[in-house]
Amino acid sequence: MNDGPDAARHARLAHAVMRRQAALSIRVAAIFVVLVFGLPLVNLYLPELANARAGAFTWTWLFLGVLFYPITWLLSGYFIRASDRIEAECADWRAVLGEEAGEPLEPGGVGDVKPGFVASDEEATRR
Amino acid sequence: MTEYIPVLFVLAITAVTVWLGIYATRQSQTASDFFVAGRSVSVFWNASAISGEYLSAASFMGIAGLLMKNGYDVLWYPVGYATGYLFLLLFIAGPLRRFGAYTIPDFAEGRFDSPLFRKIAVTFVLLIGFFYTMPQMKAAGVTMNAILGWPYWAGIAVVGTVITFNVALGGMKGITFVQAFQYWAKMFAIAAPVFVLMNVFGGYHTRLGENASAPGDAPRVAQDTTLKFKGAASAPANAVSFSTLGDTRMSFPNGAKIDKVSPVRKAEPGEDRMPREAGSTLPDRANQPVHSLGEWNPNSGVPPRAGIIARPFTVTKNSEPVLKDGKPVKTAPKIEFAEPTTAVLPAGSYVPNAPTNKKWLEPFGPLTSKHGYPLLYTYSLIIALVCGTAGLPHILVRFYTNPDGRAAKRTTFWVMVLLGVFYVFTPIWGVLGRSVLPALYANNATDSVVIKLPTALSSPVLGQVLAGITSAGAFAAFMSTFSGLLVSMSGALAHDIYGRMLRPQSSGAERLRAFKVAAVACGVVSMLLGYLVETFDIAMMVGWAFAIGAASYFPLLLLGSWWRGLTKYGAAAGMLLGGTLSLLAIVGSMLLDKKILALDVSPLTRSLMEQPAIWGVPLALGVMVVVSRLTARHVPGDVDVKMLRLHAPEEMGFSKNYIEH
Repeated sequence: MNDGPDAARHARLAHAVMRRQAALSIRVAAIFVVLVFGLPLVNLYLPELANARAGAFTWTWLFLGVLFYPITWLLSGYFIRASDRIEAECADWRAVLGEEAGEPLEPGGVGDVKPGFVASDEEATRR
Repeated sequence: MTEYIPVLFVLAITAVTVWLGIYATRQSQTASDFFVAGRSVSVFWNASAISGEYLSAASFMGIAGLLMKNGYDVLWYPVGYATGYLFLLLFIAGPLRRFGAYTIPDFAEGRFDSPLFRKIAVTFVLLIGFFYTMPQMKAAGVTMNAILGWPYWAGIAVVGTVITFNVALGGMKGITFVQAFQYWAKMFAIAAPVFVLMNVFGGYHTRLGENASAPGDAPRVAQDTTLKFKGAASAPANAVSFSTLGDTRMSFPNGAKIDKVSPVRKAEPGEDRMPREAGSTLPDRANQPVHSLGEWNPNSGVPPRAGIIARPFTVTKNSEPVLKDGKPVKTAPKIEFAEPTTAVLPAGSYVPNAPTNKKWLEPFGPLTSKHGYPLLYTYSLIIALVCGTAGLPHILVRFYTNPDGRAAKRTTFWVMVLLGVFYVFTPIWGVLGRSVLPALYANNATDSVVIKLPTALSSPVLGQVLAGITSAGAFAAFMSTFSGLLVSMSGALAHDIYGRMLRPQSSGAERLRAFKVAAVACGVVSMLLGYLVETFDIAMMVGWAFAIGAASYFPLLLLGSWWRGLTKYGAAAGMLLGGTLSLLAIVGSMLLDKKILALDVSPLTRSLMEQPAIWGVPLALGVMVVVSRLTARHVPGDVDVKMLRLHAPEEMGFSKNYIEH
């Protein structure tokens, strides 16, 4: 089932979908890498700044112990919205591939690749 | 009578858990019932269940204790867990759910069409699982010791047996409901008592501010304090590092046997031995001769009712003071007990083993600087926690209960909210503990701060009620995580090893029996392992489980989901090499800590052994890429279809029709 024009389309479609999602994921991850790997550098090279008092807290404690969590919520909320948008766009796969309307892509050709790990009753009793 | 209050709380939470398990099991008779039920679970409840399973004893007790002990650096633990979920969200949650793989062995086999790879993946389920059960077992022992005074092993035996039977009897089938309940029980138990305690003992910021205002000071005991110490069998928890800020007297009502006396700061080559004036044994009433700590002979014990006095001293080299930043370097004696004993610390003494306020409050304190490479240690810890969260065998299973990839992402978001709120509270316990119960430092008992702190309240009833609530929370923590791990491990044994390798023709009933046998076996092994790790910090042991997961499963899932060129040979080689070398490094580090292995390794090597993620993760990723390139002709022929199945939205119809309802 990997022969014929659909196989080539599958390849291009997979590329297109993954590229968009990956670009988004990497963008958000990069912000985190900068935050999480940058803070130890600030702590090491700018200790006066990191240990300056913010009320009774020090800045670095306040950031890591309290403020960090809301930042993760904001960024993951942004990611989910952007990711949903990409999925909505990709649902129109012909637009993604830049093709004219024509023969439909056969999803059935994918579905009959039946993996060996389909949940059956006896297997699932283990959980 | 009030000391029985916590026992009632613990019995109550255990009874509710067992009952909920039975109730929920009745509700879902068949496995497909379970999956359908799983799909109808709302995002919010599913997120509660994931959080409930995730918040282990390490989160509930370990972080508070480790933070009390080491200060700021420990904030990285909860931050690492939370960031780990973010990376799970960004790279793994959606694809994995779409692929329909509900365990890592499933993913391994489905992605590479290789049953052999399933076997490798199963091995790691067991490996990571056992490493992760050890801290849960320690928590059980510590909690039972704290609330009932049971010996450490008895707590492990009783709690482990109860949970093992609960799992073996099938009480965990209705897992979602139970775990969701456990999350809210834990959230209440960590948060509610804190408000009462802050009201009495001062707020989070007030107590932190005290540390910042007096950077050179350290905690002292307010009253004469009797402490129980452990013997050499519990090394390194038998060590007492005296304060460098002033003299410390310690008297021994029953005498003491001291194995070893050494300076706290390890002497560098060429430096003089510890001087005579570093302290001495105090004469008992019979006026026995006084021994100098500086010239300690291991055979000279301290007689009953006598004591020791330890004095800070200046480090010298050829009788000249050693300088650092223009100031003479000071240190103090450290003693290691040979046998368990009791000691009295008089009111106003500086507490041994407690870092000074400045070291505790500021980054690069005792945790990360202990081997002299604080930045390296910090980074390696972060990598282990972030990447390891994606490699926990019992967590990924839960994403399958989402109806689709989109819901999987939303669930992950809510998990981050629920965990984040929880983790804002845990450090407060450590901060209050440092001010209110500093005696826990002296005998290395900071892991029990969550249980012990409420008992410092002047009202015994209120104190015991709050201690009961936190004890119940701790129970919920190790019950939910230990149950989840037991289910994962027994499932791997019964389903993958027995059902697929040993007896592929076995019937469902036989596999169910295999599951029960496996659950009991895994439970017994976990209890034995737990017995051995009494002296290790809970949160640190969890860090090790994460480091192994980070160097084995995380690279597999990341590259498996995103890189078409990954072959089974590349994935297997990277996973085996990264996981095995990390494991060896960690076991070596444990043996060095326990002093079973006497080996002189450089501080850099020691840091890299204790926190292997910084080389383990890149190594595993690198090996996967290189070996995959070399075996490129083994890339599965339908790799594009697999990639679409991982990434295409459900509406496109690539992922719908192969999971049978």
